Amino acid sequence: MAGSNEVNANEAKKVVPLNTWILISNFKLSYNMLRRPDGTFNRDLAEFLERKVPANTIPVDGVYSFDVVDRATNLLNRIYRQAVDNEAQWGIEELEKPLSTTEIVPVIIFFHGGSFTHSSANSAIYDTFCRRLAGICKAVVVSVNYRRSPEHRYPCAYDDGCAALKFVHSRSWLRSGKDSKVHVYLAGDSSGGNIAHHVAVRAAESGVEVLGNILLHPMFGGQERRESENRLDGKYFVTVQDRDWYWRAYLPEGEDRDHPACNIFGPRSLSLVGLNFPKTLAVVAGLDLSQDWQLAYVQGLENAGHEVKLLFLKQATIGFYFLPNNEHFHSLMEEIKSFVHSDC
Amino acid sequence: MGPYNSSVSAGSSSGSSSSCSGKPADPIDGLLAGAGYRVRSSELRQVAQRLARLENVMVNAPTEVSHLANDAVHYNPSDLASWVDSLLSELHQPEIAPDPSTFSDLNYIAHTQAGPVLVNPMVSHRELSAGTEIEEDSGIRLVHVLMTCAESVHRGELSLAASLIEELQGLLTSVDGERGIGKVAGYFIDALSRRVFAPPSPPSLAVSAFENTVLYHHFYEACPYLKFAHFTANQAILEAFDGHDCVHVIDFNLMHGLQWPALIQALALRPGGPPLLRLTGIGPPSPDGHDSLREIGLRLAELARSVNVRFAFRGVAASRLDDVKPWMLQVNPKEVIAVNSIMQLHKLLGSDPSRGSPIDPVLEWIRNLNPKIVMVVEQEANHNQPEFLDRFTEALHYYSTMFDSLEAYSAPLEKSLAEIHIQREICNVVCCEGLARVERHEPLDKWRDRLGGAGFTSLHLGSNAFKQASMLLTLFSAEGYCVEENEGCLTLGWHSRPLIAASAWQAMPVLQHPLPLINHRQNVI
Repeated sequence: MAGSNEVNANEAKKVVPLNTWILISNFKLSYNMLRRPDGTFNRDLAEFLERKVPANTIPVDGVYSFDVVDRATNLLNRIYRQAVDNEAQWGIEELEKPLSTTEIVPVIIFFHGGSFTHSSANSAIYDTFCRRLAGICKAVVVSVNYRRSPEHRYPCAYDDGCAALKFVHSRSWLRSGKDSKVHVYLAGDSSGGNIAHHVAVRAAESGVEVLGNILLHPMFGGQERRESENRLDGKYFVTVQDRDWYWRAYLPEGEDRDHPACNIFGPRSLSLVGLNFPKTLAVVAGLDLSQDWQLAYVQGLENAGHEVKLLFLKQATIGFYFLPNNEHFHSLMEEIKSFVHSDC
Repeated sequence: MGPYNSSVSAGSSSGSSSSCSGKPADPIDGLLAGAGYRVRSSELRQVAQRLARLENVMVNAPTEVSHLANDAVHYNPSDLASWVDSLLSELHQPEIAPDPSTFSDLNYIAHTQAGPVLVNPMVSHRELSAGTEIEEDSGIRLVHVLMTCAESVHRGELSLAASLIEELQGLLTSVDGERGIGKVAGYFIDALSRRVFAPPSPPSLAVSAFENTVLYHHFYEACPYLKFAHFTANQAILEAFDGHDCVHVIDFNLMHGLQWPALIQALALRPGGPPLLRLTGIGPPSPDGHDSLREIGLRLAELARSVNVRFAFRGVAASRLDDVKPWMLQVNPKEVIAVNSIMQLHKLLGSDPSRGSPIDPVLEWIRNLNPKIVMVVEQEANHNQPEFLDRFTEALHYYSTMFDSLEAYSAPLEKSLAEIHIQREICNVVCCEGLARVERHEPLDKWRDRLGGAGFTSLHLGSNAFKQASMLLTLFSAEGYCVEENEGCLTLGWHSRPLIAASAWQAMPVLQHPLPLINHRQNVI
């Protein structure tokens, strides 16, 4: 109804700065146009509308970036690193020496969000976010350009995530510390958070080391309708209907949301007890309709005996971290920074 | 909610390729700029209102949403305000007066942009080819010594450079010279040695115009860059010619006329029938009395006749574009003109920005023709920097990416010929100076400034052109090519590095004061 829609729009406007509201509303509206009721996706228009930026070997805010294609998979990874002070060395990337032989430099493999369907590693919003993350946390960030749905359904994104993990572990130039190894963390927002979880599970099962998981309002769900979904449906940029669409686009055809990719501790999921699963930092936005699923995830990890820290940001909406104009952004960065440096 | 302070510096644009809109007094929101959107801080509220309005309309008319997605043509999504407005007008929504009471009291800090945004050079990186570990190490060493050699050339230490070149030639033997870094390094070592060992006069890779066109033809076949250029240009020209009966295309570099059969056929098929088409093809004079321009013109005329398009061709022989005088084009006041420049304008640039360059009078006479459209396609690279080392580094990255994209092409002979075409560009960028250096590529943002300053206004290429260019790419087996929209222009690149940029322009009416940037929004606030 038009009336309730206006009420919803006004709700959201009260809790985010104006430019954030514009940014996320713009995504909401253009994404509405791109999703078709029959489950197909207008990829051409999506790519046209997507704002992309090239990598930057000239540092911006002390961080530079460059793209590397993993020849084994044809996957693009965008790497963000702290710039050296010597200007003469800008523009040249040797990919030879380790990051440091004395200190530990965390390498955060980042999976961008977009509900498995939207965005890329070179999307402007994610490029900017990764640059900030690298700069504030003094980490190297590797942003993965995983294959998206509906063209590439489950388990493509997880396969690509695992390939990226393997790629990162095998780069000598990402090593650091006296033990000369790659100190890897997995991170992601929305669908990226979901990917990080599943890659961590596979890594634990096959003995590949992941030091920690950072899940930023990760995309989880289930068949059941949770209280937060009903209460917050349509109020803060997201609707239950659009969530359903993205799950239908990602999960194998004919599957429902209790599929283990979606419902982590649901009826069809495998137990995580006894698995060498990394510690987790789970960030939940208090105005995200999916929060009950995310809180259930946190509880599930605890029940399985795994270390998890919950950062609950009561007045945050989805996408609060795209622009650094709010306190939630800064809380988030502080938490991530101490999370990846806690072992040093 | 109190005002939020941010300790992060304002307006870091992280490589956003936008330049500042308007004067510093009317700045754009720096944080949205970092997300790829240009919205004036003073207009945030109006844009928000219009977004809210658009949302209401979409909620109330779901079938309209599919129309917006499938039929409407979208332009320049970076300019959020006009994008939203164009959608509203597609949905026939009249303008509403801004209502301050719609917005609740929000405090926010607008991070504004003061001054122009730095255009950061796009330098993407190629990882060394994943061969054996030994090969990887050799490859790393190769790049290392290559850069050191370039540095010594830059500093004028030619004897050091010479010994490094010998070392490089030795290193080349331990890498695979057929692909990856070995291949690219080979060409750059060759170029450096021509510069270091050749006599002061420009090293001549001088080949006949005939060989030139053969190499060009193979480059055309082996990768989609030229096809993209022709395709996108033809689309835009076709649209510009819509509704006109007398049209004249001026092609700045005819070559084999590969671009034109498709346009002729498209004009033949247009609703309402084809116009009278004149084509003026500019090209170098042919040696030995042979008139190759005329031959190509004859072939095109035959094609036109076969599809019932009235056609007239004229060849203009000139070694350099600045030798062309407007009277040679014999422009008719009643006809509508399209100027087509595929990788030609950069040849007219000088290296000293403080002195006028040969391009200025050329842009002036183009403008005086009052063309309906000027299509400009250029290499998306910064190869006209004054310092040798910067050019060298940029070229190494650019051509590495280009060679990378070629690797998938299967026909080996044709691929080699295409590579020689590229090699000649590399040599020109690396070896030549002064008038001899014609491959003075500049990136899109510089072309925007230059053309804007010369009295041209941007014509945006829309989602329809984008979609068709993407479809063209699916015909190529190599996955990795990508088309991107860049503020009304389209670029084609390999794996997120744009390599070629297409833009469309129109002469501003002569009476108007030329402005650096034109805002095309229709609505009045």
